[in-house]
Amino acid sequence: MSIDIAHVNKKFGDFVALDDVTVSLPTGQLTALLGPSGGGKSTLLRIIAGLERADTGTITIEGVDATRTAPQKRNVGFVFQHYAVFKHMTVAKNVAFGLEIRNKPKAEIADRVDELLKLVHLSQFAHRLPSQLSGGQRQRMALARALAIQPKVLLLDEPFGALDAKVRKELREWLRRLHDEVPVTTVFVTHDQEEALEVADEIVVINEGRIEQVGSPDQLYDEPANDFVMDFLGEVTQLGSVRLRPHDIEIALTPDLAGSAAADILRLTRVGFEVRLVAGTEDGQEVSVVTTRTHARALGLEEGMRVWITPTSGAATVPAMKPRLSPAS
Amino acid sequence: MVKLPAPAKWALRIIVVGYVFLLVGWPMITLVQNAFSDGLGNFQAAFSDPDVVHAMIVTIEISLWAVAINTVFGVGMALLLVRYEFPGKRALSALIDLPMAVSPVVIGLALLLVYNGRTGWFGPTLEAHGFQVIFNSPGMIMATCFVSLPLVVREVVPVLTEIGDDQEQAATSLGANAFQTLRRITLPAIKWAVVYGVVLTLARSLGEFGAVKIVSGNLIGQTQTASQAVEQEYNNFSQGEAYAISFVLVLLAVLCIVVVSLLRPKESSS
Repeated sequence: MSIDIAHVNKKFGDFVALDDVTVSLPTGQLTALLGPSGGGKSTLLRIIAGLERADTGTITIEGVDATRTAPQKRNVGFVFQHYAVFKHMTVAKNVAFGLEIRNKPKAEIADRVDELLKLVHLSQFAHRLPSQLSGGQRQRMALARALAIQPKVLLLDEPFGALDAKVRKELREWLRRLHDEVPVTTVFVTHDQEEALEVADEIVVINEGRIEQVGSPDQLYDEPANDFVMDFLGEVTQLGSVRLRPHDIEIALTPDLAGSAAADILRLTRVGFEVRLVAGTEDGQEVSVVTTRTHARALGLEEGMRVWITPTSGAATVPAMKPRLSPAS
Repeated sequence: MVKLPAPAKWALRIIVVGYVFLLVGWPMITLVQNAFSDGLGNFQAAFSDPDVVHAMIVTIEISLWAVAINTVFGVGMALLLVRYEFPGKRALSALIDLPMAVSPVVIGLALLLVYNGRTGWFGPTLEAHGFQVIFNSPGMIMATCFVSLPLVVREVVPVLTEIGDDQEQAATSLGANAFQTLRRITLPAIKWAVVYGVVLTLARSLGEFGAVKIVSGNLIGQTQTASQAVEQEYNNFSQGEAYAISFVLVLLAVLCIVVVSLLRPKESSS
């Protein structure tokens, strides 16, 4: 195990940011720390980097106790949400920074910078200033800068949070490919469940300073440990006494399936390739259902129709609890 | 911006220009006229006096010392105020602004009370070790530093606040120690603010009169500064010489302002 976090507590004044967190982040993998804002995930990342110090608990990086190690001695690459570019230095100088600090020979630095700029597709921008780059390019430069020091672990704090949706999607695919090429242990923080599910090998769900669940994207999606994880990883609706995903509900025009419930389609919206509808059951429940456009058309669904809805076999469900206050996300 | 009707706009312009002209422009023009009333004669008369030349050199020396000291401490205090939380931070911030509010003469008297060689709180001990503060350059430098204390700090603080500490944290995570971070990241980022503060400090120091007059003792040919020389010449009915020295002081100040205005656009565009 590459990064071992044991019994870490952190308070800011009265606010408990981390509450007895114990977790191991595996070597060579891409791990996502997923959770709502203010849930403590960034704090945990900054404690791993040494930019914040835990009140109690220990951090072990590759078997070495790093709890009291100064951040500049941890050999950890850190990428910030707002890039933290060195504004007065060219792209090449930014990337070279960590190597210059380490007093590497000039020729070696130049070679390494070339290689990294190629890796992040910024070779032609080497002599520009960061202000002449787009957000996505700046973040790639920041990534090259962090990789330059050949860190033991690479930490990314909401790396794509400040970018627009399209660039964000491109960059996360690119990060996944980059990680396959350069398999350094990587931990990134995100509040976007889609990003975590798409990119990560392993996801750690953090909420209110505590770890809710650790697992692969499939495990988390299919076997959520609790209500919170279920809620956070995707849309949830309630049918009868179970909570499940709206796309895990089957719609039929006849009551053929065992356990099907009669419902009327109250609202129907088409969003791109999918159709979202709200069905009202006879005991007054409003159930969200998502189906494909093709399927909706085959059944000829429209508002006001009577349909029969059933959880699909193998659907991830959790028993419905009494309504609880879900944390603001 | 609110659009003003044309007559109001013109009226406003005339009022503002008239105000500045009557307050600053006209007096300055008459000063220059008087300085050059007989060509370069006033200048020759003033600057052939070795005491005046000495006073000019003293002013420049004192100013350079004050600028150097206030630059180092100003940047240091700005970093302390922006980057660190500590008890008494607001009190320190208020204390730094104090010199702006207090009359320089009062500052001079306060320094005199603490550092004078006979009854001062600190002075006799220092003088026993051969270090004379009052009626000597250390006291004059201290007085000048005191009056120009806020200028560097107040230029640097907003810039430090604006750039945030992201870059510094990034440098730290890349292996830079505190000194390397300061030299390679923080100082280049606040460079123009520091330069601006330095120029303002220089301009303020060159013109300092009240505080320095009290602590210098105004010893002609020793601790007399240029502004004091102006006063003395004027009191001795050598108005021409007084105007000539004044003109040189104004010229230096104007140079400072020109340098600042040349730097300003660069600072905002980078």
